[in-house]
Amino acid sequence: MISHRQGNAQRIAALDERAEALHLKRGMGIADARAMHPSVDVVEADLEADRRLLESLADWCDRYTPLVALDAADGLFLDVTGCTHLFGGERSMLDDILSRFFHQGFDVRAGLAATPGAAWAAARFASDRIVPGGEEEALLAPLPLAALRIEPDIRASLESVGLRTAGAVMAAPRAPLARRFGVSLLLRLDQALGRLDEAVSPRLPVAPLSVERHLAEPIMLTDEIERLVKMLATTLKADLERRGEGARRLALLLFRVDGAVNRIAVGTSRPLREPLLIQKLFHERLAALEQDIDAGYGFDLVRLSVLSAAAFDMQQADLAGETRDDGADIALFADRIRARLGESAVLKPVAVESHLPERAVAMLPFTEAPQRVSPPKKPGKIQDTSSKPVFRPERPIRLFRSPEPIEVPATEMPEGPPMNFRWRRALYRVARAEGPERIAPEWWREAAGQEDAPTRDYFRIEDSDGRRYWLYRQGLYGASHAAPRWFMHGVFA
Amino acid sequence: MTPLDSSAALWNPREHNRNNCEWKLTVMATSAVARETVFALRRQIAKIEGTLPERLEAPAGAAPVDADVTPQNPTADIPPQDLTIVRRGLAVAPPDAFLRTGAEGLDTALSGGLPKAALSEIHGAATRDAGAVAGFALSLVSLILKQGPRLPVLWIGTAEIFREAGFPYARGLHALFGIEPEQLLFSEAPRLLDALWTAEEAARMTALAAVILEIRGSPQRLDLTATRRLHARAQNAGRPVFLLRQAGEPEPTAAPVRLVLSAAPSAPRETIAGPLAGSIGRPAFTVSIGKSRTALPGQFTLEWNPDERSFEERRTGEERAANPVPVVSASRRGKDPAAASGAVLAFPAVGSPAPGDQPSPGERAAHRRPRRTG
Repeated sequence: MISHRQGNAQRIAALDERAEALHLKRGMGIADARAMHPSVDVVEADLEADRRLLESLADWCDRYTPLVALDAADGLFLDVTGCTHLFGGERSMLDDILSRFFHQGFDVRAGLAATPGAAWAAARFASDRIVPGGEEEALLAPLPLAALRIEPDIRASLESVGLRTAGAVMAAPRAPLARRFGVSLLLRLDQALGRLDEAVSPRLPVAPLSVERHLAEPIMLTDEIERLVKMLATTLKADLERRGEGARRLALLLFRVDGAVNRIAVGTSRPLREPLLIQKLFHERLAALEQDIDAGYGFDLVRLSVLSAAAFDMQQADLAGETRDDGADIALFADRIRARLGESAVLKPVAVESHLPERAVAMLPFTEAPQRVSPPKKPGKIQDTSSKPVFRPERPIRLFRSPEPIEVPATEMPEGPPMNFRWRRALYRVARAEGPERIAPEWWREAAGQEDAPTRDYFRIEDSDGRRYWLYRQGLYGASHAAPRWFMHGVFA
Repeated sequence: MTPLDSSAALWNPREHNRNNCEWKLTVMATSAVARETVFALRRQIAKIEGTLPERLEAPAGAAPVDADVTPQNPTADIPPQDLTIVRRGLAVAPPDAFLRTGAEGLDTALSGGLPKAALSEIHGAATRDAGAVAGFALSLVSLILKQGPRLPVLWIGTAEIFREAGFPYARGLHALFGIEPEQLLFSEAPRLLDALWTAEEAARMTALAAVILEIRGSPQRLDLTATRRLHARAQNAGRPVFLLRQAGEPEPTAAPVRLVLSAAPSAPRETIAGPLAGSIGRPAFTVSIGKSRTALPGQFTLEWNPDERSFEERRTGEERAANPVPVVSASRRGKDPAAASGAVLAFPAVGSPAPGDQPSPGERAAHRRPRRTG
């Protein structure tokens, strides 16, 4: 027996057959139930866990159709249009679903009908029934009002005027019904009878292409999964070729015998259709997820879906049979690294027009970085230097992600470089210094009304051992009450 | 010979060719024996002369062993005097197998330069030397890029080293080493194991110009086996892998060369009127050879010229150049390290000014020179 809190009292949310046999009912107070039967076992309801369970069941139902939707807290909609023949017809599909759920230990009721509303009613009030198209009215007529999926208060008011079955409501004139009980009642009725279309919104976007393989003998080993991926990818290749596309995102769904579903997705940085390469990507992903994937008693259905595809540009091979695509190797390598270590494992610097050193280079993940369009400049070419300063300011080769504060006891002059400084608890004696290079904050990026960020005076410093650093002083002496602070920002070669 | 030869023909020009081949092969066989003898003799000579028999000029007639020896192969026509013998299995390496740094002393000490298709270790004594270590490795990469095609460079580091020593800054790399941002790829691995895996995968790629792997400290995982794997892959791909080890102890490694880097005070900037006092000029490095099968230990001061993208060796006094004395002994962690021959002197600070921001005597202006008495 499961309790939940409603208002100020603990009430029964769900109960099993044995509790039902004791004449306990849903919605009854726990205190009353305990008074009747002190030995009942009460468990607190965990809505979140119920939700997760339903989600995983919905994942598992993906094996029947890609269009699976959740219905409230305890139901699933499966749009099986065009899928039933794969399982040998409606009856055998329904039997298959019911028997598999039964073996997983679930008590399931199912109904199959031409409209979601009728199927809902069939599942809840006429278990295990297939309603042929056009017979929805005959199904609904003897059922109670609850079968119409209407609000409890509407139902109560309908019952108060003596309309106790769906058939009675259907027989009543429509206009007064709408006037008295609202439009939602007629909407539900029309949807159940197929007069209005009702869209079931699937949980997951439907993949444009998927291939799957049912296995008589469940597989457990990663090697076998990888081999299967290659077989599926080979099948997929023909479809991709027909569409002139390559996969940009792929998902591998592993359906475990006992109902758990593993979903493994990989992204590619350029359209891909070669089975071997797809296998390699999943090899890395599976290796990274080794601990997370529990094969249990094995997987009996493996599906490979293309989540998104892009146009595949064919490369013209030269006479030696080699395509001139230098970036392909790199792209595949980056994909493999990303498959194992995560999306931002391979970074590419992109120059940004900015004075601030930390903003002047943006690090983007490999896939998001713009591909070079123009051919690379020849190194020997004389560049147009008219627009550029002759002496470019020196920039360090390493930059700290966040400038590290240093202690500067004394400077030569108020605005000059430090004479020595303490960084990471070690004292450095400044042998030579160049600077300052003043870098002002970018006022056009500051929010209105915000206090001006202090300017920075950068110094190149060489310490007594010959190491070269990039320091800056934030703020000016005497400009404000707060003394300027010093930071270490980079290291020179 | 080839399966094509079995096809029947009335007059087969290949028949003549085949006879020719067989004749040449017998010559090759005899010359191989002769070559062995020559090599053995040369090793003996080298032993007597006291030089290491690692890399010697190849005798005339020696051909690359790994190359196809069929007469149709044009690689057999390489002028043999350009070849270099490497001790391992008496293989003969082509002349471009070594990266010449351009600094005469270092190249001579390394007998021709750093091996290109190999793992090379570059050490820094402390994390604060990361700038010098990375700078030297990048200047080597820059030299490779100057000669070869414009391929990307992958820099792999653990999150720790990028946090401690700073993340590579593409603007500075472009200005100093001519490596464009498009050519750079970075991989930041959360753990050392991931970084090693990435490096191993990258080391076998020929689409990368070079792989830089940066590690901090002396982790257990980076043992002889790990470096051997990296080295083997680099050899197969023919691409260099630079293992930068910040604040690491010298440990057994499969890399043929280990260099220990530290920063050297830079020379002042050159202007038309002479050196600019107190300025910080081109980057300078102190390179000591920590491990090398071919080289005697030595210490060199190199200066990187960003405009020419080349190294210049700094002469720090003629007596040093004439008699290169190992300041650091070869076996640093050995039980009984050999004493350095000659006195260990402090490194003469040419560029650094005297205390009190006075220019050093060499660069002092004439009117400020102390007046000579008498």
